[in-house]
Amino acid sequence: MDRGDVGALVQTAVDGDAAAWKALVEGLSPLVWSVVRSHRLSDADAHEVYQTVWFRFAQHLGRIREPEKAGAWLASTARHECLKVLKSLRRLTPTDDPQLLDRVSDDRTPEQSFLDLEEAAAETERIRHMWQELEELGDRCRQLLRVLMASPPPSYQEVSAALGIAVGSIGPLRQRCLRRLRARLEARGAV
Amino acid sequence: MNTGNTGNTDDADDMSDISGEVAFDGEELGLDLLEEELRRAAAILDPVPPELRQIAVEAFALHDLDARIAELTFDSVVDALPVRGATDMPRMLTFHAGGVTVDVELTAQGLMGQVLPPQTAGIEVLSGPQAGWALETDPMGRFTYGEPPAGPFALRLRTGEGVLVTDWLTA
Repeated sequence: MDRGDVGALVQTAVDGDAAAWKALVEGLSPLVWSVVRSHRLSDADAHEVYQTVWFRFAQHLGRIREPEKAGAWLASTARHECLKVLKSLRRLTPTDDPQLLDRVSDDRTPEQSFLDLEEAAAETERIRHMWQELEELGDRCRQLLRVLMASPPPSYQEVSAALGIAVGSIGPLRQRCLRRLRARLEARGAV
Repeated sequence: MNTGNTGNTDDADDMSDISGEVAFDGEELGLDLLEEELRRAAAILDPVPPELRQIAVEAFALHDLDARIAELTFDSVVDALPVRGATDMPRMLTFHAGGVTVDVELTAQGLMGQVLPPQTAGIEVLSGPQAGWALETDPMGRFTYGEPPAGPFALRLRTGEGVLVTDWLTA
């Protein structure tokens, strides 16, 4: 989604246009999902937070002060809701480590099944290695890169809202994390 | 180590060097490609679940300009200090809209609450865009609901001051 369209789509959706709303969902869902996934939640909690974020967005739609920054609004709402769920988990079940629950789903998506075709097996391997190395990268880098992986790429303003870090520190941090990931992939011989 | 004019810098060692650094053009391109590859990996290994996307599309039904939002002003998860050893505390929530306050307590048994100032109000317990369970408060504004909310949750109230909907949160 062209981020320039977001403000206009929000305005059109406020006026009752369901197609504009659908376009917002299509364009910004990957961002919301990436923010949720960048936090260490169980699958079930991740699904619930994703829904809460969109319900709240629908509820607040006509009251959002800067419609063109709806992406940052969603990212920030997702972050806060994730932190809250993590906090309530810690309170209610102190021995439960949500990190242990975080994993890539075993269900295969259609795209994944396609990749399982023999000619694509090498590419699958490579992507899986990359995913594993990402998990090993340390929380800060893993979190930043998971948010950056949203498609289309998020703006730095959205990344800032998603992670609570200054816009100015995102570029240097991104470089550092990508370099680190590349070094790990090289060490593995996977580049 | 220099393998020629590929433009790559052999920089695996300089990870401590962060702020103010400027990548070489060739390197920046390499990092962009790596990021793009990560984006493809995420689209394949961890895409937005289609059923969630569909729920978000249907959430447009929650867009209601006529209802006032009762803002969450207190949530014991963030606003109260945990008591050591107390692991099964109810979650206390307070919402405000204009002159109306809604206090809610979530427990493993369900939810109970009170609308203040005391009044009879219709209450709908929402978990999504579909219609929720309907309740009525007693004349003191008190209400109970015997199912513990799980997941997204909000209350829609029909009060003397019109329709209020509480901020959505994750129970």
